[in-house]
Amino acid sequence: MTQSERTREEQRLTGVSRDRREGRRDAGRPPAGDNGTLGMKIQDLSAFYGGFKAVTDVSMDIRANKVTALIGPSGCGKSTYIRCLNRMHEVIPGARAEGSVTLGDQDIYAKGSDPVVIRRRVGMVFQKPNPFSKSIYENVAWGARINGFRGDVDELVERSLRQAALWDEVKDRLKESGYGLSGGQQQRLCIARTLAVEPEVILMDEPASALDPVSTQKIEDTMAELKKSYTVVIVTHNMQQAARISDYTGFFYIVNMGDPGRLWEFDETEKIFSNPERKETEDYVTGRFG
Amino acid sequence: MPRESFQQELDNLTGDVLNLGREVGASLENMVRAMETGDEELAARELGVDVRYKARGAELDRDSMILQARQAPVARDLRLLYTVQSVTNHLVRTGALSEHICHALAETAGAERDEDLEASLVEMARTARNIFNEGLDIFEHRDIDRARDLQAKDDKVDLLYSEAMNLIANPSDSGAGAPEWRMRAALMVHYLERIADHGVDIGGSTVFLVTGQRIEDAMRQYLERDINRDGE
Ligand SMILES: Nc1ncnc2c1ncn2[C@@H]1O[C@H](COP(=O)(O)OP(=O)(O)O)[C@@H](O)[C@H]1O
Ligand SMILES: [Mg+2]
Repeated sequence: MTQSERTREEQRLTGVSRDRREGRRDAGRPPAGDNGTLGMKIQDLSAFYGGFKAVTDVSMDIRANKVTALIGPSGCGKSTYIRCLNRMHEVIPGARAEGSVTLGDQDIYAKGSDPVVIRRRVGMVFQKPNPFSKSIYENVAWGARINGFRGDVDELVERSLRQAALWDEVKDRLKESGYGLSGGQQQRLCIARTLAVEPEVILMDEPASALDPVSTQKIEDTMAELKKSYTVVIVTHNMQQAARISDYTGFFYIVNMGDPGRLWEFDETEKIFSNPERKETEDYVTGRFG
Repeated sequence: MPRESFQQELDNLTGDVLNLGREVGASLENMVRAMETGDEELAARELGVDVRYKARGAELDRDSMILQARQAPVARDLRLLYTVQSVTNHLVRTGALSEHICHALAETAGAERDEDLEASLVEMARTARNIFNEGLDIFEHRDIDRARDLQAKDDKVDLLYSEAMNLIANPSDSGAGAPEWRMRAALMVHYLERIADHGVDIGGSTVFLVTGQRIEDAMRQYLERDINRDGE
């Protein structure tokens, strides 16, 4: 029996699944029975580079204090999408977004909303670690200071470095340059720097893709800790990583070359990796894609 | 398609499980024939097959664990490996039960029998064998519609079970058969009921493999869907 025959067989048996499979206009709604608090609500978001539409019609409810992973083939718009969540996308000349992104009760794209304030509430960690040419201490303290932090800076630096699982490795050399750290340590320094600003949401775009396995594991280990205080959205090309660290997983997909990327399936991570609704998702997570 | 060698390994493992299933099926066939024809020599030839089935089952479990460790399977691959392990377990147990029945038949060669009870046993053995074969066929062809029907066929086994147990508890005055045979008959009735259950479970595992749902959930959803249709 071929896979498509098996899929038809499956559709025949599970009428409810079939409706979801075929309709799925609301791929971004959280699974039924889920009553977590809402961190961000994205509605009909599309993103453009000049005349090119890179992402279309994404609706997604992002749960607070959970890790949401975004996976999918490269070029399907994951980075573009995640940058729309803190108005980083529009920094690129000619780039713009349509639709709405709500954080708490604020539409971050509403007229009069200040991108700088949004980026403080929604922090971002990039693929390549990018520490400042300052001391380890200043890397963490600086962002908080310019954002008007008035409290105990020493305490803030220690707490942020601890949350990023870096404190023990750097506590005796806080005055040394951030450049002296290994790649994995630099990335955790960047996470600490993001945390020091005390955002509500942390976006990470393939934060471990340039790191060795041990550093990758350390970054993953911070996730469980981070979600106690923050909402985390992470793009990863490593599916096992998504399976290990996230609570929800969104699969982005492009139907035909040149089409914009779409959110193809969004569900609890457990569901995506044990029994996804759509064939394309299953092909992708089982590595049968392409 | 990417991961061709992984797919090949999954296909091989599934093929090995089906082969074990066919061997166990052949043992069941011998058991039924030995019972139908009173051929104790045929029954005696089955003695010890359970050891071979257990060893084969352990090999299949090991292969499946190695694949899990090396390939980090998810979704349908994970469901397949899970199902393969569960089906293997059902096959090994069915093989052992069939051997135990043959053992009982060989041991009671020549003992006087209760004809009504013997007829019940033969009927039960045939039904159990059919259910097993059908369960294996459902697994091979992923034919999950038939898995639901299989559950209904198992009800017949339950009926025969009560009937046989009733005959054991209330023997007729004449022709009650030798006590050592009656005692073995009670065990055989129990073993046959277990064999039928393993067959039904192999079908149920296939529902999980294809849909990711337990057969009970799948059936409920299916029934609810029909009710909703009627209401439209
Ligand atoms: N700065 C840019 N200018 C123009 N097109 C871009 C730019 N960045 C990305 N794209 C295009 O947008 C699409 C989505 O890219 P991206 O968001 O990087 O995908 P992913 O992160 O999923 O690999 C691709 O077709 C890519 O070529
Ligand atoms: Mg990207």
